[in-house]
Amino acid sequence: MIGLWGALAAAVVLLLVLLAWVRTEAWSKDSRSDWGVSDQEQGESVEACSPEIVSQLFSARDSKFISGLESPGLKNLFRRERTAVALHWVQETSAFISKIMRRHLEASRLSADLEIATEAKILLQYAQLKLYCGILVVLIGLLGPQRLAGTALYAERFIQRIGEGLAEFQLAAQLRERDGSESL
Amino acid sequence: MVKPLQVQEAYEDLLQRSLSRIPCDLGRLLYLASTRDYNTGSYHHDGLADRFSVKVARSALEIAHRQAFYKVAALSLEDLVRDLAAYLESSRENPEEFLHTWQRLEPYRIAIPMEVNPTVARLFASNVRLALAVLRLRRESSHSDR
Repeated sequence: MIGLWGALAAAVVLLLVLLAWVRTEAWSKDSRSDWGVSDQEQGESVEACSPEIVSQLFSARDSKFISGLESPGLKNLFRRERTAVALHWVQETSAFISKIMRRHLEASRLSADLEIATEAKILLQYAQLKLYCGILVVLIGLLGPQRLAGTALYAERFIQRIGEGLAEFQLAAQLRERDGSESL
Repeated sequence: MVKPLQVQEAYEDLLQRSLSRIPCDLGRLLYLASTRDYNTGSYHHDGLADRFSVKVARSALEIAHRQAFYKVAALSLEDLVRDLAAYLESSRENPEEFLHTWQRLEPYRIAIPMEVNPTVARLFASNVRLALAVLRLRRESSHSDR
């Protein structure tokens, strides 16, 4: 009996995830065609999105303002617009994380003294962040961005911390290499 | 080589002489975007270039444009609606025509500086679209109340 209920619950969850994925795909497709060629390549952003902008994007204040106007059409437009921008932010963030990781791997390949524990920790953080982005996409599709302000800000701070950590790691590796070549 | 101190002076000059006369943030942003050449992306302002130099004026305009853009992009929707209403009023155009043209042509897209985060650029355009829809709704409901 428990097995049957478990299977049913799993099927419902899977269906919801599928539904969220289909909706988010449609929204992100809309937003991609809406912007066209003026957009930069994913992850090639010249500067990171500031925490102020992230909190503005996921802000409940705007949602309350729109709800106060009591127009279903406007509410739908708001939800569509914010979801598309929020999904773009997640895609951009995910691509940015991949770019940082690619750069790190390139630097690691050239490094003579790799620390396995540090590399494993970085890989784990990378996987964690990518998973976080995937979960955010599904949650944005299911709940809308306005209920995810805390989660998005946490992700933003986490990414910044890891980005800074990797940059320091790369700098240290470069300095070690330079010192090594000078002492030869 | 452009000296940062000269750029700072030119920037302050721009704030005092030109930007302070514009009554809203969106108006200042559009004014600054209009000093940029659509083909080359470089900025030009005759008065500022005369007082300083072409290069200094260009840098000051570029900085001012980015700052004005980020300020508008970070506005709450309610504040943006207020700002857009102020801009509409200062333009002295027919409101119906203005809203229709802005919704169809989306001229505010040219106000986005060259090198900005794509998410911020999208949020800006999306917020202006929403603010226009709010103003239109308000006008429609005020017409039906009469």
